[in-house]
Amino acid sequence: MAHRFTMRKALVSAGVLIVLAGCSSGGKSGGTTGATSGPVHGGNLVIARTADSQSMNATTVFDNESIWIFEQIYQTLYTVTNNGKGVKPWLATGYKVSSDSKTYTFTLRPGVKFSNGKLMTSADVKFSIDQTRKAAKGWGYIDTAIKSVDAPTPSTVVIHLKYPWAPLLADLSLFANGIVPNNYGGKTETQFYNHPMGTGPFKWDYWHKGSALKLVRNPYYWQKGKPYLNSVTWTYVASDNTRELQLKGGQTQIDEFPAWSTVSNLKSTPGVNMHLFNSTRTDYLLFNEKRKPFQDVHVRRAISLAINRGALVKAVLFGNGRPANSFMPPQVPYYQKATKGLQYNLAAAKAEMAKSSVPHGFSTTLLIPSGTSDATTVATIMQSELRPLGIKVNIKQLDPNTAFLDAQNQKYDMTLSYWTMDIPDPDELVTFAVDPNSGAKSFFTSYNNPTVVQDAHLAEQTLSTSKRQGLYNYIQAHAAADAFMAFLYYSPYAYATTSKVHGFFVTPLGNYHMENVWLSK
Amino acid sequence: MGRMTFVARRLVMLVPVAIGVTIVVFFLIHLIPGDPARTILGVHATPQRIALLHKQWGLNRPLVSQYWLFMDRLAHGNLGQSLFYGTPARPLILGRLPPTLWLIVYAAVLAIAISVPLATIAATRKDAVRDHLVRVVPLLGLGMPPFWVGILLIDALAIHVRAFPVSGYGNGFFGHLHAMFLPALTVAIALAPVVIRALRASMLNVLGAEYITTARSKGVPARRLFLRHVLRNAVIPAVTVLGINIGFLIGGTVIIENIFAVPGIGQLMINSIFRRDFPVVQGVTLVFGVLVVLVNLLADLSYAALDPRVRFDR
Repeated sequence: MAHRFTMRKALVSAGVLIVLAGCSSGGKSGGTTGATSGPVHGGNLVIARTADSQSMNATTVFDNESIWIFEQIYQTLYTVTNNGKGVKPWLATGYKVSSDSKTYTFTLRPGVKFSNGKLMTSADVKFSIDQTRKAAKGWGYIDTAIKSVDAPTPSTVVIHLKYPWAPLLADLSLFANGIVPNNYGGKTETQFYNHPMGTGPFKWDYWHKGSALKLVRNPYYWQKGKPYLNSVTWTYVASDNTRELQLKGGQTQIDEFPAWSTVSNLKSTPGVNMHLFNSTRTDYLLFNEKRKPFQDVHVRRAISLAINRGALVKAVLFGNGRPANSFMPPQVPYYQKATKGLQYNLAAAKAEMAKSSVPHGFSTTLLIPSGTSDATTVATIMQSELRPLGIKVNIKQLDPNTAFLDAQNQKYDMTLSYWTMDIPDPDELVTFAVDPNSGAKSFFTSYNNPTVVQDAHLAEQTLSTSKRQGLYNYIQAHAAADAFMAFLYYSPYAYATTSKVHGFFVTPLGNYHMENVWLSK
Repeated sequence: MGRMTFVARRLVMLVPVAIGVTIVVFFLIHLIPGDPARTILGVHATPQRIALLHKQWGLNRPLVSQYWLFMDRLAHGNLGQSLFYGTPARPLILGRLPPTLWLIVYAAVLAIAISVPLATIAATRKDAVRDHLVRVVPLLGLGMPPFWVGILLIDALAIHVRAFPVSGYGNGFFGHLHAMFLPALTVAIALAPVVIRALRASMLNVLGAEYITTARSKGVPARRLFLRHVLRNAVIPAVTVLGINIGFLIGGTVIIENIFAVPGIGQLMINSIFRRDFPVVQGVTLVFGVLVVLVNLLADLSYAALDPRVRFDR
């Protein structure tokens, strides 16, 4: 009896602890309401994302999780259109070009202010672009065609080019050319980027590294009535499951990149809108032409022809994508739909193999990063698909950092990689992918087709749209015939939002404009 | 030897432990392949850009020279700069420490809150149905992977009942108490079976001791008998088990932190390893090493608090 009393007390004390924890603050209420007739001001939106940002220094940072945030703070002279194929005036209202196509005079939008209320002038623009040009370990290369920047009047900026440069406006729309205050507003570069400031719809609040980053409404924003939200918080939630549960539990309003396997389920979840935005993401199988037998075009063609891209789309993306026909994605200007590429055809693959230097097959290694189920699925399917050609594929898994290092150092036979566009012009991708003298050595493949390389550089300085289209058609057709990579599939950007979120749109380049987003009550 | 001398000696022992940890971690992390510059630059990595970053970070120096620089900084309380964030590593690590400490302490408290009553239930009716139930049912917690238990708890208590947030750390003491309940409970469910078994076994030993029979025959009230004589004597082996498990837990919170999006030090460690953020990895490992030593020290001190026969000179 006495023992029972002790037990009861012990159980009660444990129960009290649980109840105390449960009652110490209330959980969020659930349920959704329908949208009102128009945008509503107010609200704090939370985006759960897959990785943390690295830095707010737009001139040196390459990771998307930083870029998509500081794009809400800094703005560019031109911005990408919603279809990702062009630019539209943003902090500039227009430009004039000289007869030799080497001098561009931009007129700045009047009345644009930084989030401290100070008016933006041409001195700020000149300073910002000059900083980017100087960033040797960052995005300086994107502005290599620029000879100098002048600020003759507070509302006029003149950019002098070394040579005519077709992608200039696209380059200026790159976040790295975002406008910051002249001389960082009197701060050092480090101080400024710890508390950045720009003309964008939101201004800096805080960043708890590895946890959450919050921006609040910029009261001086130049688009009247925008932004609608009081604040946006990006939280770092590594687990796909947790992000989805947070969305369902009302703790977050936007789930960045839910797992492909959950997309179908999320589409039918009440109170959740599943968005699949067109993207420029293209996945590839790279062949290292520094290793045998991948110098042999017939081997590369055979492998490209033996890959059933439709099966990959089904297995990896759960049907949420489509087979790739070009190394350029459809959302890029000058993409050529008519280029068929080398699509699945086992008979043709065998015929190519018979013409190759290894007609009876060979043994090779496919390098993939560990811990990535998508890569493992692709590798396993390829292992099976290449067997009929007599190709024995050994899958080599290394931790992502090491796998990436080996790919860049060309210590691989075959490996998987992908690309997303930074600018609405094919130049950056094309140079990266086909020029063996670029830093990337033709996407780390050592592919070298002199005519293709020549045309890639000719297209940079060709201002005629039709002539550029012709050049890029040639490049795409020959790159496909050379099979320097096997173009696998195009996939969309997946975002799940609660039904209270309105106006959220992601361009094919991955950017989003949070000034257009609002939350219904 | 007095208690303070004992504590001081154990704290002095931290120094060789910390130095040993730094040597092992420093050279291991530099021996594995991978380059932080390439991680940060991504596909935009060119030899020129990589060289510039290596020079900026001092990675172009010989390894021994880099280690000496690290130790020199450490002697001045400086853990260096995070290569990924470009900010000092010390505030980065210290800022992530409280959520992990919350998780560990909260989990330990919950594990005790679960274990003591259940071990009591089992020990007081040895071989009865309830004893078997207590011995078997908690083992499910040990057998189920924590990530699965965590998701089940979230689904039941955060999504359906909505009593707790799905994840996060919360704000303020009560905010932490509320937000960290599910992660702490997940850890406690895995921790409790071991503690229950240890506590039950030692309770059975104590209950069979002659001094308990004597106390009973002298008419010591059951509650007092249990709390003063049985529990106090039985808890010492359980404290050892708990101490060892918490030591393991310090380095193993990453899964729980990942599931519940707790911005703790375990998650920072894993991310920093993938990014090859050497200063942060070294700093976090050092903190882990110090914490494990401190937890063991606390366990030793608690023996003396629980049992006056324990002396510090043995």
